[in-house]
Amino acid sequence: MKSLLLVAFLVFLGALSTQIVSADVPKPKPSEQQSKIMLRSKLEIVPDEKVWSARLQISQAQLQELRAALDGVDRNPTVAASIAQSPTRTLIAGVLLFLSVSFAGVWLARASRMPMGRKNKVVAAAILVVAVLGAAAIITRGNAGPPPGYLSWMKLSKNFSQGKATTGDFMIEVVPDQPNTPPSVKLVIPYNPKQSGDDE
Amino acid sequence: MRVFGGALGIYILAAAILATWLPLQISIVTVFLFAGPHNWFELRYFLLRLPARFGRSRTFFVTAFAGLGFLTVTYVSLPLLYRYVSWPNETWLVVLATWNTILLAWLVVLVRLRAQQKRTVNWSWTIPTALAIAALNWLGPEFFSLALVYVHPLIALWFLDRQIKRTRPEWLNTYRRCLCFLPVILALVIWRLSQATSLSDDNGLFWRITQHSGAQLLPQVSSHLLVSVHLFLEMLHYGVWILALPLLGPRFWDFSKKPSGFSRSAMLVVGVVVVILLWVGFAMDYATTRDIYFTIAIAHVLAEAPFLLKAL
Repeated sequence: MKSLLLVAFLVFLGALSTQIVSADVPKPKPSEQQSKIMLRSKLEIVPDEKVWSARLQISQAQLQELRAALDGVDRNPTVAASIAQSPTRTLIAGVLLFLSVSFAGVWLARASRMPMGRKNKVVAAAILVVAVLGAAAIITRGNAGPPPGYLSWMKLSKNFSQGKATTGDFMIEVVPDQPNTPPSVKLVIPYNPKQSGDDE
Repeated sequence: MRVFGGALGIYILAAAILATWLPLQISIVTVFLFAGPHNWFELRYFLLRLPARFGRSRTFFVTAFAGLGFLTVTYVSLPLLYRYVSWPNETWLVVLATWNTILLAWLVVLVRLRAQQKRTVNWSWTIPTALAIAALNWLGPEFFSLALVYVHPLIALWFLDRQIKRTRPEWLNTYRRCLCFLPVILALVIWRLSQATSLSDDNGLFWRITQHSGAQLLPQVSSHLLVSVHLFLEMLHYGVWILALPLLGPRFWDFSKKPSGFSRSAMLVVGVVVVILLWVGFAMDYATTRDIYFTIAIAHVLAEAPFLLKAL
């Protein structure tokens, strides 16, 4: 009798829960928009005395690449792209990985005195795999040295005063719209007053 | 023994078929029916495993409960903090990575304390392993949290292994043979659904379920596959806690013995009330109750660690 009642109760709850399947629940609004880097390319700034208005020239191929990048936004971010994009996290991961390999070395040295069991071999292999994966991620994601193009842009003011062109790496970044500001295109160039002053 | 093996095989197959066939609908029904009760069953099981006097395990249990309390409170406070503070995404990732690191540190401390009591085994490998996992966690904290979602249901199978060894050792080989089929069935599910169209998540509830399974983090993987695999593992988890362990555990349904120390009976009564409240909540507003449940449920995920260590 008790079992029958329990089954009946579960059937009742099950029937109740199936009503929920068809219920229309609103989807949460997407979180605050953030800027996204869409494309990395080369930029050349050319001072030209023959032109009267500033122009942004872009090749057909690059425009198509940008369009493809815009089409793929949000829908297709790669797993690799979501792994450590910050120097702080990469640094901490590196320190922890260093400690892991160090402790693993001590443990292996101690374990080598005794006959190495199957479990120990599996653990050693697992730590090795994690260490290789972590090191690969840190090497590929870690920002070692100045970013590409930084040194090229340091010569901009000097080149500009001499009427010379300056070429360096740049990124196209799509930023969210500002409600009370008219849309505009902004070019942000790395600038170091000390270094630029020395050049001049 | 044959009946046990057959029943286990049928349950695993049925769970795989249901999870593959109607993942979203079955997910809603199983969470509605079994999420609350399985927590009560876990509580009952843990109370039975808890010694009447802590004795020389005092430090172990104090560390376990202090960590459990701290980690649960901080985890539950994260969504509240998210609502009232507007930090950049990167800051949230650092917060998440920090919480995950504290969790790993707590586990390592528990392992060390357990190793001090059980000197016949060498668990020193856990330190480099935990550090390596912590390093990966800092590279992708969200992936660590997702891994927790998928690994947690499997811990129940470990508990069952320990329980069978204790009460029905003659079944252990059959059980472990059945477990060997689990990767095969998982591989079949993955093969069957790898090319499946992603589930429609235009409904807020369906969206929550696909997000919980990692659809946002793994956009290249079909959300049908993710939800099915997660649901399959969850169904195994519920099956172990609600069916297998109560049937195998001696004194599980014996409430006649008065427990000593603090009132464990009161905890069980409160547990029943919470389960009923959960059902009422699910019936009134399933989506919100589901969100609240899966946030608070971190407590039972964490509680499994010390009791599993004690069973080893």
